[in-house]
Amino acid sequence: MLNSLHIEGASWLHRMGTGWKLFALFVISLALTLIDNLPVLAGALFASLIVARSIGMKERMLWQRTKPVLLTIAFLALVNMVLLSPRDGLVILLRLPAILFFASAVTASTSLSAFIDCLTRAAMPLEKMGLLRAADLGLALGLVLRFVPEIHERYRALRDAHQARGIPVKLHRLLGPLIISTLKDADSIADAIDARGIRGQKSRH
Amino acid sequence: MSTRDLVLAALFTAIIVVLGLIPPVPLAFLPVPITAQSMGVMLAGCIIGATRGALAYVLLVVLVAVGLPVLSGGRGGLAVLMGPTAGYIFGWIVGTFVTGLLAQRLVSESQPALRQMAGFLIAGVVGGIVVVYAIGMPWLSFITGTPFDKVVTGSVVFLPGDILKAVIASLAARAVMVGYPLLPQRA
Repeated sequence: MLNSLHIEGASWLHRMGTGWKLFALFVISLALTLIDNLPVLAGALFASLIVARSIGMKERMLWQRTKPVLLTIAFLALVNMVLLSPRDGLVILLRLPAILFFASAVTASTSLSAFIDCLTRAAMPLEKMGLLRAADLGLALGLVLRFVPEIHERYRALRDAHQARGIPVKLHRLLGPLIISTLKDADSIADAIDARGIRGQKSRH
Repeated sequence: MSTRDLVLAALFTAIIVVLGLIPPVPLAFLPVPITAQSMGVMLAGCIIGATRGALAYVLLVVLVAVGLPVLSGGRGGLAVLMGPTAGYIFGWIVGTFVTGLLAQRLVSESQPALRQMAGFLIAGVVGGIVVVYAIGMPWLSFITGTPFDKVVTGSVVFLPGDILKAVIASLAARAVMVGYPLLPQRA
């Protein structure tokens, strides 16, 4: 149901460390935000397409993955062209898709587990400060992914029950039962986690 | 944070993801279709409170960042978090926290039904609309260079839908308050 946007492969970007990739993406995005030179921005957009191709993402796939954001950008570029100047519209039409495609390339070349390892390591200093438990992140994300299909099934059952009784399916009628029936499981799930000692000794509070 | 609070936040994140899978509802009197997912900020704040609600949204943003298409319309990945509308997504975290704080202040179990619903409505409008837009609009204006006042004018089309969402969310929050109250037990 929830397929990761990761694309398997062994390209140079796949082999690069996750932390470095995110750092590079941050630096490139910041630089592109500050640059206002049209030829440089056009070059960056071209480079982003080359990078995407080098990890096996064709333009068609990029378009599929970024369509809603690209349409928003196109609309805002149009607004800028009318309100400000054609140049102001063109700047964001080159700059923002370039940032978007670089970001898509990082997403596609990094596996879920590599991302979560990287985040857990980044959270370690916070754990030392006593703010959170770094391992909780993986646990919580695992819980979300585990329960999405189940809650979706529950939603469909509620919808079908309404339809079977001839009651029009309205969101405001479904939300209450859906949320209550889901959250009622929290106690037994929490007990199961604590009983297995997954969060260590002092897990209760 | 107890295991139960962590589980409640994770379950709510899963509910928000499921709300994104429901097809958007077009309404005759509104220019933009209503996505059930955008109600999540108000629901999370009013039902599980400030801390757990904000945590649920931190988890959602992490899921987006690690490349899962958990947003409505199958959106996800770092591209969404670097695009012009990223301010709204980060604004959800703060918006949920504010909604939760207000709901905890304004609503208690002993109040009459109408008073509870009014409290949830105020919390949802301030946290889910005012706060989210207050973060999303300046970001959009900064990233695209579109003048701020024009961004504000353009956002007005979303306002009727957002108010309708706040009403639906307050009804749902009240239903949960009656059936399985979680808000009074703070995280």
